[in-house]
Amino acid sequence: MIKLTSIEKSYRHGLSQTFVLRRVNAEIKQGDFVSIMGPSGAGKSTLLHILGMHDSAWTGEYWLFDDPIHQLSAKDRMRVQKQHVGFVFQSYHLLDNLTVYENIDLPLSYRDVKKTEREGMVADILDRFNIVGKKDLFPNQLSGGQQQLVAIARAVVAKPSLILADEPTGNLHTDQGKEIMELFRRLNEAGTTIVQVTHSQANAAYGKRVINLKDGWIVDEN
Amino acid sequence: MGVLSQDIRYAFRSFRRAPGFTFVALLTLALGIGGTTAIFSLVDGVVLRPLPYADSSRIVRLNRIAASGGVDSFSAADYRDLKRDATTLSAVAGYRSDIVDVTGRGEPIRIVGTQTTAAFFDVFTAPPLLGRAYHESTDEPGAAVAVIGESIWRQQFGADPSVVGSQVRLNGVPTEIIGVMPQWVRHPAKSDAWTLSPLDVPTSPFGTDADKGGSRDVHYFTAVARVAGNHALIDAREQVKAIAKRIADQNSGSAGESVDAEPLAINMVADVRTAMMVLLSAVGFVLLIACANVAGLLIARGAARRREIAVRTALGAGRGRLVRQLLTESVVLALVGGGLGLMVAGWTLQLLVGFAPGNLPRLDDVVLDWRIALFALGTTIGVGVLFGLMPALQSSRPELSADLKDGGRSGTSRTGVRNVMVVAQVALALVLLIGAGLMLTSFARLRAVDPGFRTTDIVTVELMLPLARFSEGAQRSFYTGVLERLQANPVTAHSAMLFPFPFGGGNAQASLLVIGQPEKPPQQRQSAELNSISPGYLSASGLRLIKGRDFNTGDGADGPPVALISESAVKEFNGKDPIGEKIDLGEPVTVVGVVSDVRRRSLSDPPRAAVYLPYTQFVLPYMGAMIRTAGGVAAVASAVKAAVAQIDPDLPIGDVKTMEELIADSTGEPRFRSLLIASFAGLALLLAAVGVYGLISFTVAQRVPEIGVRLALGASPWQVFRLVIGSGLRLAGVGVLVGLAAAFGAARLVSGLLFNTSTTDPFIYVSLSLLLLTISALACYVPARRAMKVAPMTALRSE
Repeated sequence: MIKLTSIEKSYRHGLSQTFVLRRVNAEIKQGDFVSIMGPSGAGKSTLLHILGMHDSAWTGEYWLFDDPIHQLSAKDRMRVQKQHVGFVFQSYHLLDNLTVYENIDLPLSYRDVKKTEREGMVADILDRFNIVGKKDLFPNQLSGGQQQLVAIARAVVAKPSLILADEPTGNLHTDQGKEIMELFRRLNEAGTTIVQVTHSQANAAYGKRVINLKDGWIVDEN
Repeated sequence: MGVLSQDIRYAFRSFRRAPGFTFVALLTLALGIGGTTAIFSLVDGVVLRPLPYADSSRIVRLNRIAASGGVDSFSAADYRDLKRDATTLSAVAGYRSDIVDVTGRGEPIRIVGTQTTAAFFDVFTAPPLLGRAYHESTDEPGAAVAVIGESIWRQQFGADPSVVGSQVRLNGVPTEIIGVMPQWVRHPAKSDAWTLSPLDVPTSPFGTDADKGGSRDVHYFTAVARVAGNHALIDAREQVKAIAKRIADQNSGSAGESVDAEPLAINMVADVRTAMMVLLSAVGFVLLIACANVAGLLIARGAARRREIAVRTALGAGRGRLVRQLLTESVVLALVGGGLGLMVAGWTLQLLVGFAPGNLPRLDDVVLDWRIALFALGTTIGVGVLFGLMPALQSSRPELSADLKDGGRSGTSRTGVRNVMVVAQVALALVLLIGAGLMLTSFARLRAVDPGFRTTDIVTVELMLPLARFSEGAQRSFYTGVLERLQANPVTAHSAMLFPFPFGGGNAQASLLVIGQPEKPPQQRQSAELNSISPGYLSASGLRLIKGRDFNTGDGADGPPVALISESAVKEFNGKDPIGEKIDLGEPVTVVGVVSDVRRRSLSDPPRAAVYLPYTQFVLPYMGAMIRTAGGVAAVASAVKAAVAQIDPDLPIGDVKTMEELIADSTGEPRFRSLLIASFAGLALLLAAVGVYGLISFTVAQRVPEIGVRLALGASPWQVFRLVIGSGLRLAGVGVLVGLAAAFGAARLVSGLLFNTSTTDPFIYVSLSLLLLTISALACYVPARRAMKVAPMTALRSE
């Protein structure tokens, strides 16, 4: 599903160059649940944003299914991203001005899904995530765990084949974190490929594989 | 459509959640759009809107251009020749204003009327409200018919339809009212009735034979025409010029004269067009400042919303979609601001019309209608796109991964765009401030001009007489009778009769030909203003007798013709003492005295050569009384009314005004535009201050961590204060430099509106630049104080 070959990212500071990622080679199969781990500054989030196509300033080869992301224009990358990727952020990033319903509806509206179809899809997700009663609330009326639940609902509503999660439980209590990880496990069991960045061994244990990064290099993969 | 309505709904919601931003933005837009719309209404009504008559672009004013270059009235003979030969004109009409006393139906009243030739309503084609108008094809000269205006029909005749067909006495002549014209038919301005001249030209107002014979020397009425449907304006212009040239070639007295056919809509507003366009430009500047201000607010808001924009992008929103959403927000904001602006425009327009000088042409045509609503809508949408586009383009290009990580706290480039906005605002505000400074200085200098006569404790009363009832002898007896009665009353003891009043519309002039001097060609002849005055005028008005004697009771109708001349006329005597010399005014007139110069036409016009004749020898039915008194207007009015009533109980008196009021009326237009531009400049200053304040507040909020580090490293709060004030003043300084350069160029455009004021007056430029810098420093004060109070620990934690 994903094939990375010699991915590198660096910043220039005058004459010197600082590498954030060095010669990253990795393969992720469909249905996999991969945890990216490593100390702060290892390049975990950077790698995730490259996978999510939020970052285009890198070198190397990145294949997603049959699409050579490294060769695509910004417009085509956007198309591929819309088609395959859902993203979950550590700090949820729900839009404060939108209700729970509208937040979940947003990715569908950006994919030009018809309104009647969207209504059915959002209703289905609200039901699956058991948050129908909260659909008219605004994010600031929800707890952290509830907000992350909504963020995951928003990430999966467009039925992506790949979910990228950047420390999804980083701002949550342990119990809330467990609930979220259980949810990821269920999504993975249902066929969604998941790549998460985490510091937590416990969270990594929900996954099938771990990629360890240090100073931009993959130091361990199991 | 669904997406658009969703965007609109979200826009309203986001505004509700940011009440401070929304309030400032809407207030700014309402003032900008409202002010612009109100001024556009004024300019539209006065300058741009076509005249309300059918096919009005074909109506022209025929300007007789004298050999000296000035525009003058028509003589009967010139008019007749032109009318006969101008085949490119389908209708030619002459008219002159007239005072009309209406009797025979209720109380006697005096109205402003116009005596016209039969083709007047062939030129000003308009459907009557009631009855009919007179026309050349249906009404012979001399038919005793009149058309009245709607306002007089409603006010004086109670809107009674039976007025049409009834007989009234107009200036004593039984006349049939044949029609009522709607309110919008107002030409010439203030005319309430139109009467048909007994001749094919308007009758002479002087009671002379100037209207009957072939005289080309007495010019006393205005001519208008309608260009024939099968001819272009240029054809008509060329033809009337050719006819005028032929007249000038055939008549030595007309040598050097010409005639031009100028579109009436342009002619009517020629004096105020530049001022109106300057006002429109000034308010356009205010609108631009408002746009820059709101754009700055939106950019700041966009910076605060970078996380949101990044999230939307991460969720799949394309750039076009984001730009559309952000533009929708700004257009929605502008539309709400525009709606409020229309309300502001309505109120402002009421104020403008209320404060506008009475002599501003076409003031009745100034209304808020669908044209203005369209203008406001266009302005609003334009403004929405203008102030929304750059922030939308800026915000829709997120640095995705960084914005998602830090929520968009960094980002100097967007502050850079805001800097440009603030510099633009300061620069535009300075241009307006300097424009206002120049106008106000000019106005102050104009008002400080000494007109050459007393301006305080003077009351003037118009005492016009209907020519039909008062022969020349009767006019003389009337004015003498009134003057004697006034001089016998202690309140009005210092009274005199005169024509014309200073700064009034009346005017008589003649070439100043000194008998015994070599005759000059027409182009080089000195023109002199003719004044008719009674003994006592010099002491009442404060004119100084420099040489010779004042008029006395011996200078009667039967006495030898005598005159006083002004200082400016003395040079025509080529160094000879003018006392005892004779001038040619149709007959030899002996100069008996020289008096000081006055500015009679306006404060800005330099004194002209003037000749004063005793009213007993040069009587006109348009004279008035000038009374020097401390008794007040009411006491004078009642004394004059009583004096007039003793002689003719049916005769109303005209306007009663103090000299200060006459001067204020004459300076109404420059006062009006100076005050308006000063108001715009004040508004611009306020908006620029809000802009500077907004930017510095935003910058301080962005720089809290940096300020925390500075404080932690030992900077004193005062050093932080200076840092913030300095950054604001640097921007304002750049704005001032740009504004000074722009003002230097723009000021030349208003040079024609200035009186005794240089467009590069350094005091105005320097003092207003300092004012703007001071206001900018004050605008930075609050954010600078806030920066001083940053707690290093909190600031560093937020980092």
